[in-house]
Amino acid sequence: MTELATMDFHPQPQAGEAKPWAFPAPQRGTLDNGLTVLRCHRPGQQVVAVEVCLDAPLEAEPAGLDGVATIMARAFSEGTDKHSAEEFAAELERCGATLDAHADHPGVRLSLEVPVSRLAKALGLLADALRAPAFADSEVERLVRNRLDEIPHELANPSRRAAKELSKELFPATSRMSRPRQGTEETVESIDSAAVRGFYEKHVRPATATVVVVGDLTGIDLDALLGDTLGSWTGSSAESRPVPPVTADDTGRVVIVDRPGAVQTQLLIGRIGPDRHDRVWPAQVLGTYCLGGTLTSRLDRVLREEKGYTYGVRAFGQVMRSAPDGTGAAMLAISGSVDTPNTGPALQDLWTVLRTLAEGGLTDAERDVAVQNLVGVAPLKYETAAAVASTLADQVEQHLPDDFQATLYRQLAATGTVEATAAAVSAFPIDRLVTVLVGDAAQIREPVEALGVGEVTVVTAE
Amino acid sequence: MPMGHTATAQAGSGGLTATEHRLANGLRVVLSEDHLTPVAAVCLWYDVGSRHEVKGRTGLAHLFEHLMFQGSGQVKGNGHFELVQGAGGSLNGTTSFERTNYFETMPAHQLELALWLEADRMGSLLAALDDESMENQRDVVKNERRQRYDNVPYGTAFEKLTALAYPEGHPYHHTPIGSMADLDAATLEDARAFFRTYYAPNNAVLSVVGDIDPEQTLAWVEKYFGSIAGHDGKPAPRDGSLPEVIGEQLREIVEEEVPARALMAAYRLPEDGTRACDAVDLALTVLGGGESSRLYNRLVRRDRTAVAAGFGLLRLAGAPSLGWLDVKTSGDVEVPVIEAAIDEELARFAAEGPTAEEMERAQAQLEREWLDRLGTVAGRADELCRYAVLFGDPQLALTAVQRVLEVTAEEVQEVAKARLRPDNRAVLVYEPITPEATADQDENEEAAR
Repeated sequence: MTELATMDFHPQPQAGEAKPWAFPAPQRGTLDNGLTVLRCHRPGQQVVAVEVCLDAPLEAEPAGLDGVATIMARAFSEGTDKHSAEEFAAELERCGATLDAHADHPGVRLSLEVPVSRLAKALGLLADALRAPAFADSEVERLVRNRLDEIPHELANPSRRAAKELSKELFPATSRMSRPRQGTEETVESIDSAAVRGFYEKHVRPATATVVVVGDLTGIDLDALLGDTLGSWTGSSAESRPVPPVTADDTGRVVIVDRPGAVQTQLLIGRIGPDRHDRVWPAQVLGTYCLGGTLTSRLDRVLREEKGYTYGVRAFGQVMRSAPDGTGAAMLAISGSVDTPNTGPALQDLWTVLRTLAEGGLTDAERDVAVQNLVGVAPLKYETAAAVASTLADQVEQHLPDDFQATLYRQLAATGTVEATAAAVSAFPIDRLVTVLVGDAAQIREPVEALGVGEVTVVTAE
Repeated sequence: MPMGHTATAQAGSGGLTATEHRLANGLRVVLSEDHLTPVAAVCLWYDVGSRHEVKGRTGLAHLFEHLMFQGSGQVKGNGHFELVQGAGGSLNGTTSFERTNYFETMPAHQLELALWLEADRMGSLLAALDDESMENQRDVVKNERRQRYDNVPYGTAFEKLTALAYPEGHPYHHTPIGSMADLDAATLEDARAFFRTYYAPNNAVLSVVGDIDPEQTLAWVEKYFGSIAGHDGKPAPRDGSLPEVIGEQLREIVEEEVPARALMAAYRLPEDGTRACDAVDLALTVLGGGESSRLYNRLVRRDRTAVAAGFGLLRLAGAPSLGWLDVKTSGDVEVPVIEAAIDEELARFAAEGPTAEEMERAQAQLEREWLDRLGTVAGRADELCRYAVLFGDPQLALTAVQRVLEVTAEEVQEVAKARLRPDNRAVLVYEPITPEATADQDENEEAAR
């Protein structure tokens, strides 16, 4: 039975005239100490975002010291030549600021957010942290213990556990990418303040760093501000360091990380593929969105909106490391969780979606909606200073030109259905996907073996 | 403005203004212009949340929110998502104890589409609602529950704390996600009745914020929403008031497969919208917000007994707010050690109050959080609706930060002394067990209670 509505209906309205918007172009410069500066004025954004990219990639960590970059990143906010650790945290918060730091494959990133009225003071603290970090024995010891305490929490989290297993499966054991970004119990235990300082001295210097400043900079003399703060940071000149190319084994196979009694199976299905320096990138972004970018994409249309197996499954491409010489790569993956009893049927449907895509391709309508969304949401997505700063910093880290994102939007708009299909199909070939399932092996092993998507092995969770 | 009054920028509003209007059917409308970016946010708050649910039907408000995306009179299937995303917009809905909100952020030239879509489902949802979408979204929501709560360590802690802190039968005793049994029990007729009862224009506030022409926007709102009939069929929500303090320390020990011991607690705190609530927000920030807070310094930096320690505030308007303490222990440290340290810190804080510097830090932190929230058109639209629905005055959103900055150290001390006491909390202790011990779990849990 349906119910007749009593309202007056009107036809669906037509769009008004679009107003022009473009991804902001930053202004590039260099301080006397060699520090590269990107700045971008965003009217109305009262919280300024500052990103610092340090050329201290995980791959540069000494053997056996995985996690030293992470501990160093965290130790930046644990005291300087002017403040103890507690004082430093207090001073930052007194500015209403937040400072996050983390280490990843391309390098170490510091992200500062602060109301523009207190930018000067916060930049001073950031400069102290980079220029003269204390790395006191007792603080590093505490960070190491804290990090060791975090590891069991990560292993107990299904999506973190799945990510760890996929990296181990995909990348050769000799590659830093095969191992947890923040180190393992064994490696973290060996880290002390001397190791942190050693890593800092070898890899942190203004000449190989970039700072990105975005926000409402009305009335701010940023040159003077930066000169007084980050300008006083000194270090030797840049040395180039070769990086090994990213390789991976994407032979189709399944690894089940056993979690007895789990009510859902966390799935992470992935491989590596082209990064942002590859010409296929715009088509790959488009095709991946059509496959699993949102709940109206192909995967969720079946797995969620038809079958109800999941709260949502997404396909994505995440840059691991990107370089102009083609040695970089992106992780291409599908992730989500499905209820335990429906794990087999859900995976069966997922493979059917991939097979159907390969056989029939995308439709023009799908392509059009995807382009309209990916391009159309840009002004929303980049409303805040933090969003703009983060994308600009990603571009720096990935050795991309400053107008990369702006150009990407134009390329997306010019990418056709055939190219998007080809990119999606070669990004997710049905026989070259490594599947990690974190779930109850006793219940899911058999149905998964029956799918024939590769050899199934079971590992015991820690 | 042709209708309603024009507000002038008030002190502390950061130059933001909003105007208020009301359609004949009772729909309240709040508009706020901001032409910096060519985007517009539409936000619609319905004054219904999990507190309106009845026994045996927990989770219905949230399940219903999902059904609002399954088509309506003129919109097929997933059309709400497809049309908004195809227009370069983003959208979603969320359900809390006190309200259900729906929002679209659009490129400015697509604003009219979002208004048309929201009006269509407000006026004609039942024309599209059927068994198929009911069954499908029931499964989706059950998987949402598994993914966010049941399948993650400590995932049901908040649900357990809420159940302890608000007594059996209290409208806030259960959380919006609801129980699996009740989700299974909900019928299509329940959903229909829920819509007829709560989804009326006079039970909602619509805000539109951003690069808009207010006159044109109001004309569209009138065109699309104006013919939807209001009604007075909504029953008054059950009374959520409770004594200011619990009067005893409630306690539950959970033996589960979790990675580390944890101590959590829920404190009964002043209602949102009061000066005492702002004061307790500052108290919790000094005590447990960020890495310069007293508890972080004590437990994580000095004693080194915890891996993480912090306080959060869940502001509630129709019942006491809830202060949520969350401490995960380090290594083999036992919970009583942590508990003693916390009680010592809370007692010291009640006796001495915050220092001037701590007040400055806490106020600066909360100020930045407000700047963040008001820094996007979507955040501003949501806050305008919040103050209109819960407190009857959207303008309060624009001056909220000012009120936090006016609170004195004495007020912070006073509320801490009155509320952050052992006899005003529900405590949840997690004791990890190994998988082999799981068989005994039920028995142990019962004994612990």
